[in-house]
Amino acid sequence: MSASTPESAALETEVLLVQRLRDRDEGAMTIFYNKYSSALYGVILRIVKKEETAEDVLQEAMVKIWHSFPSYDAEKGRLFTWVMNVCRNLAIDKIRSRQYRVGSRTQPIEESAALRQAAEPSFRPEHIGLQEITNKLNPDQRQIVDLLYFGGFTQSEVAEELNLPLGTVKTRARAAIKVLSKLIR
Amino acid sequence: MNIQDYIESGILEEYALGVLSEAERTEVERIAREHPDVARELKQVIGGLDAYAEAHAVTPPEGMRERVLAGWQQAIRATAEQEKTIQTADAPVASPRMVASSTSAPVAASQEAVVRQMPAAEAPGRIRWMIAASVALLMLSALGNYLLYSRLKETEANLQVAQTEQSRYAATQKAALNERDQQLAVLRNEAFRPVDLKGTPKAPEALARVYYNAQTKAVFVDVRNLPALPEGKQYQLWALDNGKPVDAGVLASATAAGDSIQQMKDIASAQAFAVTVENAGGAASPTLSTMTVVGNI
Repeated sequence: MSASTPESAALETEVLLVQRLRDRDEGAMTIFYNKYSSALYGVILRIVKKEETAEDVLQEAMVKIWHSFPSYDAEKGRLFTWVMNVCRNLAIDKIRSRQYRVGSRTQPIEESAALRQAAEPSFRPEHIGLQEITNKLNPDQRQIVDLLYFGGFTQSEVAEELNLPLGTVKTRARAAIKVLSKLIR
Repeated sequence: MNIQDYIESGILEEYALGVLSEAERTEVERIAREHPDVARELKQVIGGLDAYAEAHAVTPPEGMRERVLAGWQQAIRATAEQEKTIQTADAPVASPRMVASSTSAPVAASQEAVVRQMPAAEAPGRIRWMIAASVALLMLSALGNYLLYSRLKETEANLQVAQTEQSRYAATQKAALNERDQQLAVLRNEAFRPVDLKGTPKAPEALARVYYNAQTKAVFVDVRNLPALPEGKQYQLWALDNGKPVDAGVLASATAAGDSIQQMKDIASAQAFAVTVENAGGAASPTLSTMTVVGNI
């Protein structure tokens, strides 16, 4: 319980933001955007690949976050985790939608090499640098995390996709996430 | 249950990745509440994935902030309005369900509403304004037209007056000019013989001149100075032929005033001319007592 100033300050602003969103304060959404947009946009863009679509998804996600905010339980986790999952799910729904697949027929999502590639250098790393992560995760682990996190795959689907036993996928995923967890400790 | 096995089963990762069903999630949360080790592990897994997400942060493009916030606001307003209509139309039970489900339905509805409802709400106001503005403009235009029309009519009337005036003036001038030309021709014509009529003792200052053309019998009179006459009186010219007076006509007032030369009646033969004062319209024979001027050829 180190009262490290930046962390507690961040927590405080998050608590305040949650309170304002719960009070249906529309001005809070501007603060929300300022605070989270680059992280949310980055992940959405990583999933949908197109800037225009990423913008649409982010806006859609914000509408959804606003409407379903009463279902957010601060006891269960950080606001960031919750909103990131909303965005991630919407983005994954988008690339899985029939319309999107037709539009991107030349590059089916499942086969997309981009999903397994390292993130573009234009990505702005925050907290933990992407380079740092790339260095710590081995390529197999990274591939699995990306399929799970950005591809919306279940572990069974990853096993099928990569032609690996489900146990191996689970072990690698766990190992990868452990590495990530350690990076923030 | 072996907690370590549970932790290593990979279910916490799946929980963090959001791929579990609602029932499975609730179960994970229950176990995490009961077992601090699980809770700690779950927190670490989630934290790790959050960090992974944050590592991919990208600064959104220029202008996106305004677009997204405006779009978001429009969407939630439209949804709020729709909920209101549903509430009034339907039983009030409908709205909590809308909020609670809150997944794709309100989002889809709001997207539709953005397209449909906003212009509909905006339209009547704008049309009313446009109608009001049109009516005002029409009235202004009508007033303007009326003013311009009346001014045009006025101008036309003035122009007509001016034109009438001008043509009358032109006619007068032309007539006057003709007369002058004629008079000039008379004065220049060698055939006309000037006869000076001098004032009698009754009016010694009086003076007039007669131009007589013996060939054409034409007679013109040019008054230099004749006394003004009382109302009802008029000067009359007489030709004296062998002592016998012959009427040569009465002098117009302009002639008597000396403004113009006047052509008189033709005279076949004369040796002298005289002017007498007679009643207006002239007399058959001269009143000799009123003779004002006289002169011999």
